[in-house]
Amino acid sequence: MASVTLHDITKRYQDAEVLHRVSLDVADREFMILVGPSGCGKSTLLRMVAGLEDISEGEIRIGGGIVNHLPPRDREIAMVFQDYALYPHMTVAENMSFGLRLRGLPKAEIDERVAEAAGILQIRDLLRRTPRQISGGQRQRVAIGRAIVRKPKAFLFDEPLSNLDAKLREEMRVEIARLHQRLGTTIIYVTHDQVEAMTLGSRIAVINAGRIQQVGAPAEVFSRPANLFVAGFIGSPTMNFIAGVLDRAAFKSESMSMAIPGVPGDGAPLRVVLGIRPESVCVDQAPSPLLSEPLPAAIEVVELLGYKRNLYLKAGDDRLLATVDASFAGRPGDAVAMRFRLSEIHLFDKETRNRIG
Amino acid sequence: MAEPRLPVGPALASLRRRQLVKAGLTHAALIAACLVCVYPLLRMIAVSLRPGDRLISTDLALIPAGATLASYARVFAETNFLLWLWNSLVITAVTSLIGVSLAATAGYAFSRFRFPGDRLGLTLLLGTQMIPAGMLLLPLFLMIMRLGLINTYLGMVIAYSVSSLPFSIWILKGYYDTIPRSLEEAALVDGTTRFGAFYRIVLPLSTPALSIAFLFNFTQAWNEYLVARVVLCDAQKYTWTLGLFELQGQFITQWGMFAAGSFLVTVPVLLIFLHSSKWLISGLTLGGVKG
Amino acid sequence: MISALLQVLEFVALLALAVAALESYLYFHFTYYDRKWFLPASVAAVLVLTLAAAGLVLDAGRAVSWAAAAALVEAVTALVFSHLVRGRHSLPVMLLAPGFIGLALLIAYPLVFEVYLAFHDLKLTTIMVWSRTGRIPFVGFKHFFKVFTSSPLSSVSFWQLLGRTVWWTLSNVFCHVAGGFALALLLNNCRRLRGVYRTFLIIPWAMPQVVAVLALRGEFHSQYGFVNVMLERLVQALPFLAGWGVGPVEWLGRHALLTCTLINVWLGIPFMMVVILGGLQSISQHYYDAAAIDGASAWQQFCHITLPLIRPVLAPAVTLGTVWTFNNINVIYLVTGQAGGSEDADILVSALYKAAFTFYRYSYSAALAIVIFLMLFAFALVWLRFSKGSESAYG
Repeated sequence: MASVTLHDITKRYQDAEVLHRVSLDVADREFMILVGPSGCGKSTLLRMVAGLEDISEGEIRIGGGIVNHLPPRDREIAMVFQDYALYPHMTVAENMSFGLRLRGLPKAEIDERVAEAAGILQIRDLLRRTPRQISGGQRQRVAIGRAIVRKPKAFLFDEPLSNLDAKLREEMRVEIARLHQRLGTTIIYVTHDQVEAMTLGSRIAVINAGRIQQVGAPAEVFSRPANLFVAGFIGSPTMNFIAGVLDRAAFKSESMSMAIPGVPGDGAPLRVVLGIRPESVCVDQAPSPLLSEPLPAAIEVVELLGYKRNLYLKAGDDRLLATVDASFAGRPGDAVAMRFRLSEIHLFDKETRNRIG
Repeated sequence: MAEPRLPVGPALASLRRRQLVKAGLTHAALIAACLVCVYPLLRMIAVSLRPGDRLISTDLALIPAGATLASYARVFAETNFLLWLWNSLVITAVTSLIGVSLAATAGYAFSRFRFPGDRLGLTLLLGTQMIPAGMLLLPLFLMIMRLGLINTYLGMVIAYSVSSLPFSIWILKGYYDTIPRSLEEAALVDGTTRFGAFYRIVLPLSTPALSIAFLFNFTQAWNEYLVARVVLCDAQKYTWTLGLFELQGQFITQWGMFAAGSFLVTVPVLLIFLHSSKWLISGLTLGGVKG
Repeated sequence: MISALLQVLEFVALLALAVAALESYLYFHFTYYDRKWFLPASVAAVLVLTLAAAGLVLDAGRAVSWAAAAALVEAVTALVFSHLVRGRHSLPVMLLAPGFIGLALLIAYPLVFEVYLAFHDLKLTTIMVWSRTGRIPFVGFKHFFKVFTSSPLSSVSFWQLLGRTVWWTLSNVFCHVAGGFALALLLNNCRRLRGVYRTFLIIPWAMPQVVAVLALRGEFHSQYGFVNVMLERLVQALPFLAGWGVGPVEWLGRHALLTCTLINVWLGIPFMMVVILGGLQSISQHYYDAAAIDGASAWQQFCHITLPLIRPVLAPAVTLGTVWTFNNINVIYLVTGQAGGSEDADILVSALYKAAFTFYRYSYSAALAIVIFLMLFAFALVWLRFSKGSESAYG
């Protein structure tokens, strides 16, 4: 196991620069997740670590040594691909032992490692089958098994769960988490699904348009997003955003105004965006020092989600989503009073910084 | 207004009758076409079975009176039939192997890599199909003559080796394009070199296309006449096409032997072609016609 | 026999060796192109090696000049690698190199040589001199003029040949497509026994062309061929037909081109049939169902659904077929090619072949070949522009 360090990585295709001076440190045994929308460059970054893409500028180190010019085979990494990439003309056992056979390991050891991995992933009875004869979920396991037997310094996962149906995805997510606990390996995992990111990773790196937006533990990224993009990307349902002006300790938008204590007031009014998660919007609750002043709103649509309800509220020109308990009895057209949990208000300078949480 | 109703009773019966007539005509036409296609082959068999004293006659019977296999015996005994077949086999086999090997690697390069001149190269390859056959033959012949390779196996192999190369490259490239690149990437991560990924993963998966290319090269070279006629002049080195043509001489045509020899050569070629036809045709249309 | 086989094996071994040498040469360049010492080291190495090799075979002066030339080539190559290629395209070039060198030697070089030939005078009388010294007299455009003004063979002129070739191509392609279409439609409509019919119908394509053409030629023999025998019997059975002029025809003697056309049609229909059948089967039945509901008759369905949807499949096949037919030497030559055979059936390419190999007029043929090729090339350009234009008209 080893650490992986990316330093000032830049990637250019012809004239387009896809990654701009990305730096990231993945500690030994850490489960680092690269998450971001399609096309943000996360897969490219992963492939550069694997050695499947050239590095335009910057350095990649695995276990301390620079690997920029090393071909994939010399980097001691293993990768699980989105489409599993199992060799169709080989059996499962042959697929898993391919890398070991290439390195000339003795047959006994190869068999032992394959058996061990097959046991961990519960694919022991599939060893003699070919990829065509097994299901998608089983292929996924074989792909992971192929990576495990190599005992690499780092595992790379490229959106491995994207091709599975929802239920299977949940199962495999737990499997992968268990795997990480059991094997204690360094993992770099790419996904566009922020739920996977939040549940699996020990640290998340949010990437957009070729730049890292924020790196941190899931809880931190969730509760203290560094910028508007991260705030809008992480968390489901998406955060509500209201544009307005912050003047001293008061926020004023076209449809509402409230006092926000504890905000460092520079004096000059600042154009900001206020962000509040649906869970942090309280509807028709008793006043409390933890909540803001009441703001009038009307209910437009009500959705029942089992144990929670989604309330789509309209306050002036702004629309907000509030998530409340299922016992809330409100109907479209009702007028309600919204209160925001003060500690969960996020303020963003138009685009750049976060202020208080 | 009466709604349109499904035909029942007498209306249904006449509809059925029309369909039957239509089907009957279709089958009749097809059978006629098949006869036209097969007849020359049947006649060839008939002529080959004719007894010696009535080799040339206007008899149209498919199995002539007094049918005998004497012509077949004579083909083997009085001509170098087996030698011709052997010559053809050697030249064709070597040519096909060389052609497929070169095309396999070239096709891979075209499929997987972008390099200056790749589009142009592919278009040029297709363009070579347009060159009139005789156009290349003349300078090739002169070159071979200069090298002293006239009338040798080597000269023939050289002349044949490259003529089907463009087409083979096209077919193989098309097939390689259908193999996902992630397979090779997985192999790279597993520990192969770039060439190792090609050799261990892509190549084994391409056997259908390789077989098609080989079969195509083989049939082209096997059936070829014009180049052989120009390059080979020693009767010992004749391929079967030259040999058969010999039998149809200017003044005397050995009808019986010619028919027997023709039939003997045609049968295996026909069988192979018909056996692999579905597959060969899909391969050809995959690469060539869609081109 | 064994010695011939050994000779071929020897060639294969040599080829493999040459490929390996070439690959190693390229590999060294790709691995070390950016080292400072590479350029001088490689040039020096080539210089020394060539000097040694040449010195063994040639005299000192020539050896030195060969070595210098080789060193120069090596220097250029190394510079190309370090400045142009820059190691980026290593593997593809290595993979392609043997194939393309083969292609260059066996296609590009002959073409260049052909142009050279066309401007010089290589024929029966000069060929001996040429094979000894490699020199032939330069004659400029003389052969090109002769192509247009005199006959490649003995009497038929270039323009006659051109006209005949055009007629040959058009009539053949038309019959191929019409016949192929008809058969494909019939096959498409017939569900049972389709495979059996198909197998029989592709026999003309599957048979070796030499055998098929010679056999069919035999059938057109004026006395013993099937066609005339049947015609004879027909007239005997229905004498009034003789009044209409029906009777045995001297196919090969008087109507050679027609005979060749009939033979080529027989040969070529299966290919078209197969292609069109594939196209027909890829047209979804839903279109026909929708049209039937809309009230279209069978003929209307054919015009408005079948024809347009089969165009993408048909167009390349017809293009290829046209080029192949235009260039088809085999049929004409095999039917009329014996010395003493008639010239009336010759088309451009068969005249080309005969002029070169029966009359030994090599340079003249080269000029003729170039003229033919340029015509085809121009036609292809026009055709491409036309089909691109009409494609955009379709949107």
